[in-house]
Amino acid sequence: MNDRATGLELQGYLAEFGGPNRMLRAIELVKKAGYERVEAYSPYPIEEISHALGAHSKLPWIVLAGGITGALSGWALQYFTSVHAYPMNIGGKPFNSWPAFIVVIFEMTILFAAFAAVLGMFALNGLPRPYHPLFNVERFALASKDRYFLYILADDPKFDLKRTWDLLEKTECSEVTAVED
Amino acid sequence: MTSTTATEARYAPSDFAPPSALAQPQRMAAIVGAVAALACAVGAVLDPAQFFRSYLVGYLYILGFPMGCLALAMLHHVTKGAWGVVIRRILEAATRTLPFMVILFIPVIVGMKELFVWTDPEVLAHDDLIAGKTPYLNVTFFLIRAVIIFGVWGILAFFLNRWSLQQDETGDNRLSLRMQGLSGAGIGLYVLTASFASFDWLMSLDPHWFSSIYGVYFVGGQALTAMAFVIPVALFLSRQAPMDKVFRPSHFQDYGKLMLAFTMLWAYFSLSQFLIIWSGNLPEDVSWYMTRTAGKWLIVAQAIMFLHFGLPFLLLLNTDIKRSARRLSIVAGLILVMRWVDLYWQAAPAMKVAGLHWMDVVMPLALGGLWLWVFFWQLARRPLLPVHEPFLKEALHHE
Amino acid sequence: MAKKRTEPDRPIQMRHPIIAEGHTPATVTDQISAVVLTKTPRWWYVGFAVAFSLVMVLFMALAQLFVKGVGIWGLNNPVNWGFAIINFVWWIGIGHAGTLISAILLLLRQNWRNSINRFAEAMTLFAVACAGLFPLIHMGRPWRFYYMLPIPNTFDLWPQFRSPLIWDVFAVTTYALVSALFWYVGLIPDLATLRDRAKNKFAQHAYGILAAGWRGSSRHWHNYEVASMLLAGLATPLVVSVHTVVSFDFAASQLPGWHATIFPPYFVAGAVFAGFAMVITLAVPLRALFGLNDFITLRHLQNMAKVMLATGMVVSYGYAIEIFMAWYSGNGFEQFMITNRIGGPYKYAWFALILCNVLSIQLLWFKRVRKSVPMLFVVAMFVNVGMWLERFVIIVTSLHRDFLPSSWDMYSGTRWDWATYVGTIGLFLALMFLFIRFLPMISIFEMRMILPEADEVKEGKK
Repeated sequence: MNDRATGLELQGYLAEFGGPNRMLRAIELVKKAGYERVEAYSPYPIEEISHALGAHSKLPWIVLAGGITGALSGWALQYFTSVHAYPMNIGGKPFNSWPAFIVVIFEMTILFAAFAAVLGMFALNGLPRPYHPLFNVERFALASKDRYFLYILADDPKFDLKRTWDLLEKTECSEVTAVED
Repeated sequence: MTSTTATEARYAPSDFAPPSALAQPQRMAAIVGAVAALACAVGAVLDPAQFFRSYLVGYLYILGFPMGCLALAMLHHVTKGAWGVVIRRILEAATRTLPFMVILFIPVIVGMKELFVWTDPEVLAHDDLIAGKTPYLNVTFFLIRAVIIFGVWGILAFFLNRWSLQQDETGDNRLSLRMQGLSGAGIGLYVLTASFASFDWLMSLDPHWFSSIYGVYFVGGQALTAMAFVIPVALFLSRQAPMDKVFRPSHFQDYGKLMLAFTMLWAYFSLSQFLIIWSGNLPEDVSWYMTRTAGKWLIVAQAIMFLHFGLPFLLLLNTDIKRSARRLSIVAGLILVMRWVDLYWQAAPAMKVAGLHWMDVVMPLALGGLWLWVFFWQLARRPLLPVHEPFLKEALHHE
Repeated sequence: MAKKRTEPDRPIQMRHPIIAEGHTPATVTDQISAVVLTKTPRWWYVGFAVAFSLVMVLFMALAQLFVKGVGIWGLNNPVNWGFAIINFVWWIGIGHAGTLISAILLLLRQNWRNSINRFAEAMTLFAVACAGLFPLIHMGRPWRFYYMLPIPNTFDLWPQFRSPLIWDVFAVTTYALVSALFWYVGLIPDLATLRDRAKNKFAQHAYGILAAGWRGSSRHWHNYEVASMLLAGLATPLVVSVHTVVSFDFAASQLPGWHATIFPPYFVAGAVFAGFAMVITLAVPLRALFGLNDFITLRHLQNMAKVMLATGMVVSYGYAIEIFMAWYSGNGFEQFMITNRIGGPYKYAWFALILCNVLSIQLLWFKRVRKSVPMLFVVAMFVNVGMWLERFVIIVTSLHRDFLPSSWDMYSGTRWDWATYVGTIGLFLALMFLFIRFLPMISIFEMRMILPEADEVKEGKK
């Protein structure tokens, strides 16, 4: 859908709402109409909206993997250095002093798991992303204040220049904008 | 503070009258308790010394149920968490068994000479270290301390139960604040008295040894015991009217989280004590662990590590297990068994036992059965929900 | 994120409101971001100048130290651990409240934390930065600090993993990194808010880069909330472990006065105690200066006072059990240590410590005190001093009378010790000033969440 005059391409339609419940009802409508490529934007997390759009996160598994990696590397580091690389007799304690190793294993588990949580969250959210077509919409800045936005992407199989626009117009939104890039 | 009863109460205390089905577990507990107690009575005649040793471990184990429940009740009053409202009557019923626990303490006093080496003048004459502790470790002061300890617990339990009942009758919100105030100070008093109970009744079995974390280690164990006890009781209540419409999976999820927290807390105290003593490696400290990891005791120590902490910890991380009352009760059962193993592992080596005696195993059944009999009797005496609790709505619509 | 709670519908004032009435997402956003986006007030320059001059004092003390060595400090034999370790433990203790407020209170769904978590987390980071300085500079050759890290060097030597000091390196490093992550993750949505609000190009770009393209989509929020909960779950045991490991620095030794099994829980409680005292110390002037009384309400101060009372009682329990066990142990060295601590040459430090940490907090049992902002501030100041004295008493009284009476000595800090200590307070304050100037000190998006309007989603009104 290339606009020959401006060289801009239509990315989707953005509807603006004054309250979360109005947007929730609109989501219901849009979902019923069979749209799949739908995103909702709100100034704070709203469980019902994530729920309505069918969000589920793989993050716990990433964090678990991070934690296990941390624990194993913490143990391996201490075992290798204390038993093989440079064994030292400290206070008659055995080279493989597992009680003494617990602390570092624990810290490494937490460290790796925490990094997995943050980097995993970034990866799953597609961040960092310095540029996004939505930033072209001036009023979208209010999504980080007190407005709610519903975005239907143009690559949705059901997307239609007119019917999608009309559908959004029918909701309780205050304004519909075409997002171009 | 407004102290109003003007707002309409949606429920009356009578809506939550205890079900008659409570009689069934009570009867079972009575039968098991009576049979096991009879067996132990025979054992007492055959081997009195062993009877007292088994009795002390069994008593300290069962003591964890009412005392841990007192601690949880006070914790609930202080934090006003939604988790506590729906189990408050279970906790309160458990604290009302305290007079029964005082009676059960009598055999410990009778058996003092068998249990505590510091009562033996022969030992005192030859052991300067123990003799130096006689200003504290002597029979008179021991008894005075026991009276103070039970007295403090009794006062706390008495007022919490009394005000809770008054709240049912009058619906006065000030009572809720009064219970909160008492509990704030009460938790402090409980931790202090329970610490000295652990020093007297458990640590002084080995009068040479000392560990300043021992008190909180013991308290952590009691809180864990109580949490693991409440879960199966809540499961039982949730299966029939009137509590079936009260308990939700989210409540059990909270109990699971609390049990996980107490498991971790117990493990934290346990590991702290071990790591410090292991690192210092001083003869006066480390002897305690030497006897408890020697020979077959090592297997017990490892079992405690994996079954008291490792396995329950991993299981309780799972949300599905926490939300299922039945599966959570299985984990709670494991923890209840391991609580006894832990106390046995701490106490028995100090008493120089030859090995596991049949009375060691039968005694917790005897005392536990009799205690449960009293507990269910008390549970059936009051409505199962404090309907005038100001945060009731929050607790019922808990997610 | 914290679940929204329905407040009890009965007319009792058991809970004060978290935010003053009449606010909407728009007013909250404007009022908090205005602090950052409008012109710098004059008092800020004055305050920052004072803090910065103290940082200069720190630099002077450090320059002196690097040129002349640790001989400029008051250390002697047997007291070869003095101000450096006292200040380290003091700062790291203060650094505990931030993560505790953020993590544990998040897990417990205590949404009153939403107004104070941000600056408490910042306080944690800056306190840990000050703390981390001391182990580095107390080494005779600080430029060899990397010997503590597990990296191969020319001698093929590795850290000695049976030493609690190496555990500390791992614990404090992990704590600093995870606290920074937690803080940054919490900031992302607010950085996006600032990016969208900022008027000048530079600020737009700076906040834009830091916000990393955050758009607040439902997918973002969902992963974000899962990440926050997981981080909280990880940070909670971490925060306990850090001061536990600090306590191991002492307890794993064999010195009477240090080798006590009660140390881990008693140190952790002391850390939380000190941390909350510092949060109150900072919150009271901040809410007055920026007019944030609507967001940091009396309820916050009262709740923090209660936490301070509870942890202070645990600390008092620790003191009592320590004294009892020293006697009960029957060990002459333990008994001497405790009589020397209470009645020896440093008895005034001990009595002052009891006054600050045990007696002063008893005032918090009274509701009238908890409701009075000036009184709370005074008690918090007592605790700040008391927790420093506690570490002084533990470290110095245990060391200065060691097993060999011929080496007994007295210890006091020199002017360079004090200059370093005061300098780190300056560093802490300077970082705090920069933070409140450039970043929102209250979490804006979490304030939107606890507004009454936010609840209407659940009620289905509107």
